[in-house]
Amino acid sequence: MKDEKYEKIPNWKSDFPIERKEATHVSRREFAKYLGLLSGALAIGNGGIVIKSLYFPAEELKGEHYVCNQSDVPVGEMFQFSIEGSEIIPYILIHLEENEWRAYEQKCTHLACAVRYRADLDKIECPCHKGYFNPRTGDVLQGPPPRPLPQLEVVLKENQVFVKAKEPNKIV
Amino acid sequence: MSDYRRSQNEAHPNKTNTLMTGIILLLILFVSIQIWFLFGALNNALRENLAFAITTFVGSFILALASFWVLRYLPDPIRSEKGKAPERKDL
Repeated sequence: MKDEKYEKIPNWKSDFPIERKEATHVSRREFAKYLGLLSGALAIGNGGIVIKSLYFPAEELKGEHYVCNQSDVPVGEMFQFSIEGSEIIPYILIHLEENEWRAYEQKCTHLACAVRYRADLDKIECPCHKGYFNPRTGDVLQGPPPRPLPQLEVVLKENQVFVKAKEPNKIV
Repeated sequence: MSDYRRSQNEAHPNKTNTLMTGIILLLILFVSIQIWFLFGALNNALRENLAFAITTFVGSFILALASFWVLRYLPDPIRSEKGKAPERKDL
């Protein structure tokens, strides 16, 4: 009789134990269970990345988009613009030399800070963590960014500048 | 009544503690590797590197299963002394 009485502890009571020994023990059990839960959540997150890249790939930019007139951007200057698609993506257009133009996504590949072209250094700079990119290729020169800047292809037509999606494996 | 489990627990009072610590350390190791996988997958797979995403997902899934499996070996909670005290008197 006594045993039954002591074994049947209601849940609310076992959730809030009075004795220290019991309390620390239960919290470690729960900690281990939460670690198991976290482990499952991380696996689901990883699965989410697979599903996203399989079924929802990033949409390619379609067609040519007008940016500005050639005379608006002198040599060594940068021009900011954005293209509205499923989301608004900011870009920069750089006039490197006469008839040499480049267009890159403005979001740094590290933590998405806005990058800018520094003509005095001839580099694209991310001011947040001092990341530097090559203005001709978009490759990372220095700092924490893990990937090159995404690039657009620049098309010049009758004093006007257009951009379109860069074809893969095409050397500019 | 003779109780093998109780006498064993009395002979090795630290056993539960060691087991619990071991399991928690193992779980922390699994979760750390999974965070590493997820970080790598976010960096690579977002640039259309599907093979890397799938490989890390399989690895992460296996580690999650291992984490759940290891939880089976969590020691039972120690019952309160109040519950045990009268039992001893009865014996």
